[in-house]
Amino acid sequence: MPQVKIIAKNFMDMVASLPAIKLDLLYRNQFICEAILRSLPPLAKKYVLQMLYIDIPITSKSLQEWLLADGSSKHKVAIDRLIQLRVFEVIDRKKETTYKLNSTFQTNLRKHMISGGILPREPMPQSVTARLPTSEELDAYAHEQWECFLLQLISSGQAEKSTSFSSSMMRIFQRGLLRQRDKEAPRLTESGFQFLLMDTNAQLWYIIREYISNSEEQGVDQADLIAFLLELSFHTPGEAYSLDTLTDDQTTMIKDLADLGLVKLQKGRKESWFIPTKLATNLSVSLTDSSSRKQGFVVVETNFRMYAYSSSKLHCEILRLFARVEYQLPNLIVGAITKESLYNAFENGITAGQIVTFLQQNAHPRVAEKLPSVPENVTDQIRLWETDLNRVEMTPAHFYDEFPSRDVFEAASDFARMHNGLLWEDAKKMRMVVKAEIHMLMREHLRGQNK
Amino acid sequence: MASAPSKLYADDVSLVVVLLDTNPFFWSSSSLSFSQFLSHVLAFLNAILTLNQLNQVVVIATGYNSCDYVFDSSSDLNRSFENGRMPVMCSSLLQKLEEFLITDEQLSKEEPEGKIKPSLFSGSLSMALCYIQRVFRSGALHPHPRILCLQGSLDGPEQYVAIMNAIFSAQRSSVPIDSCYIGSQNSAFLQQASYITGGVHHKPQNLDGLFQYLMTIFATDLHSRSFIHLPKPVGVDFRASCFCHKNTIDMGYICSVCLSIFCKHHKKCSTCGSVFGQAQSEAASASDKKRKTPET
Repeated sequence: MPQVKIIAKNFMDMVASLPAIKLDLLYRNQFICEAILRSLPPLAKKYVLQMLYIDIPITSKSLQEWLLADGSSKHKVAIDRLIQLRVFEVIDRKKETTYKLNSTFQTNLRKHMISGGILPREPMPQSVTARLPTSEELDAYAHEQWECFLLQLISSGQAEKSTSFSSSMMRIFQRGLLRQRDKEAPRLTESGFQFLLMDTNAQLWYIIREYISNSEEQGVDQADLIAFLLELSFHTPGEAYSLDTLTDDQTTMIKDLADLGLVKLQKGRKESWFIPTKLATNLSVSLTDSSSRKQGFVVVETNFRMYAYSSSKLHCEILRLFARVEYQLPNLIVGAITKESLYNAFENGITAGQIVTFLQQNAHPRVAEKLPSVPENVTDQIRLWETDLNRVEMTPAHFYDEFPSRDVFEAASDFARMHNGLLWEDAKKMRMVVKAEIHMLMREHLRGQNK
Repeated sequence: MASAPSKLYADDVSLVVVLLDTNPFFWSSSSLSFSQFLSHVLAFLNAILTLNQLNQVVVIATGYNSCDYVFDSSSDLNRSFENGRMPVMCSSLLQKLEEFLITDEQLSKEEPEGKIKPSLFSGSLSMALCYIQRVFRSGALHPHPRILCLQGSLDGPEQYVAIMNAIFSAQRSSVPIDSCYIGSQNSAFLQQASYITGGVHHKPQNLDGLFQYLMTIFATDLHSRSFIHLPKPVGVDFRASCFCHKNTIDMGYICSVCLSIFCKHHKKCSTCGSVFGQAQSEAASASDKKRKTPET
């Protein structure tokens, strides 16, 4: 199975790669401290909490005493992460490694625990904003906005109304997702397919990452953007916040964010304001937001026919990737999963597993109650058709023969088996095939035998 | 697959139901004042909510006449801020707690009694379990629930049956009950509750550092518990209360049919109605003697 290449990597990797001075600046904001804390692995969170009120450095030995024996790998991951994010400061003293919490981070987090934090801007009073959209309207808006963006991303011609992203910006987002051969219409790459099958939050992270790394090239400070995004995720969705509270950079950014559906911009008589949507407030949930999963719409029958209750063009485009769409009614897309349509998908690097998970995750609520939500014969057949294409597996290997004696042969074959590298052997003729990875080891071993 | 990493961290999403002992009989005699205690607990609750956006905290106040929900992070708007200083979470909790204390006190005036009353631990434990059941039934995706008892007052032996039933139902639905005993003696109920449900029981030595105890021990999510050193039960007080006089006893009589416990011999089981044989104790002691004679 091909490796997934563009799993929307955590935003925090990006934060971790910032230079130390900028990180320290970020930690002056309580909300960023909180967002950072939330992004940590569970064990690292625990360490931070435990050391929150300890002012002296702690030796790594006593840190490990908190752990049971089988937690050492998790310990390593946690410590690496903490050091990467400069939450832990390493102090070497008398040959012993000691850790201490970053003092800015520590004081801010303490303050946050005791008294809570104060956002830099307060929601605007009802009297000014008059009527705000309800949360349903806001969700619908965010959804529509995001879908429109995605549709424009995968096929620029299809979108009814285009977002205000310049075509150069769009091209940056498309980089890696689309591939354009000469004079052909751009086609989705393998990672492009995977991108479409990811849930909204993961897609959002991917786009935001691209957005931020791009803005760096345009001279906007990366740390500022990150700080603003993290701060934004702590605003209350549905409340209005005045645009006057933003800096110039932030104002330009918020317009782009509105195109993505993260915020809704509104104008009153005098003032204008932005309303964060759920997409924005979910930003600081690392990648785990399962609660925002959309309602499904696909029904697959045992006869491989597929009914999708959706009027969205994007859904149609996605389904077209692996199924034959037969006709489209105002609220229904009817199609069939066929061998040809699947081969097409496999050729583009999309895997059977991905198709099956997509169908399962987006199952219509009526069929989602059943187990399995997608008929077994269909999922099996999808997998079988995939394996049809992979009948021959290639493994780089080395062939050995002319062993001097049976003992040497047997020792060698045992050695190969021990390293999980034996592919084939013929004991009678004393020949064997060994994976290329352990060829060097094998050679050493055989040399040792000859002496 | 894209959804693979998301499963990894969902493990540490937790729902913590905190049972807060508000018994005035206990707090008037405690070395730690109630307001100090509250400030430790509030910071702790804040920390739990800070750890993960999906974490949920529910606080149930345990009075000596009643118990009630005083805080639920899923319904209260804990992220917006009133008057710029204190988070709404604290102010709404404190306000509800005050209302609760007043009604709780009013209830007691109907039956004036001089003696110290225990907290209604069984009631709050049942409420916590009801809440958790509701969460369980609400959908496939829910946080890992656990209960934390912050108890200081003495055990009320008359609640024995109700508490044990609650403990066993917690065990059945695999909800661990953590307990932090802040009183001077030790509580057999809490020890048993944590022991049976696989929770952690701890009695802090130094109450001034309560926050650190809470953070170090009780903030640990269920997922991390498998690889972190936590206090282990040293000796659990397994003593039961009899069903007839509600006394705590070491040894007693047990109905062979329904396992009810009695401190004295009865003719008939008060719970299931089975008739006990006469002179059981004499027959038993006689057979004991008989057995012992050949040995000596």
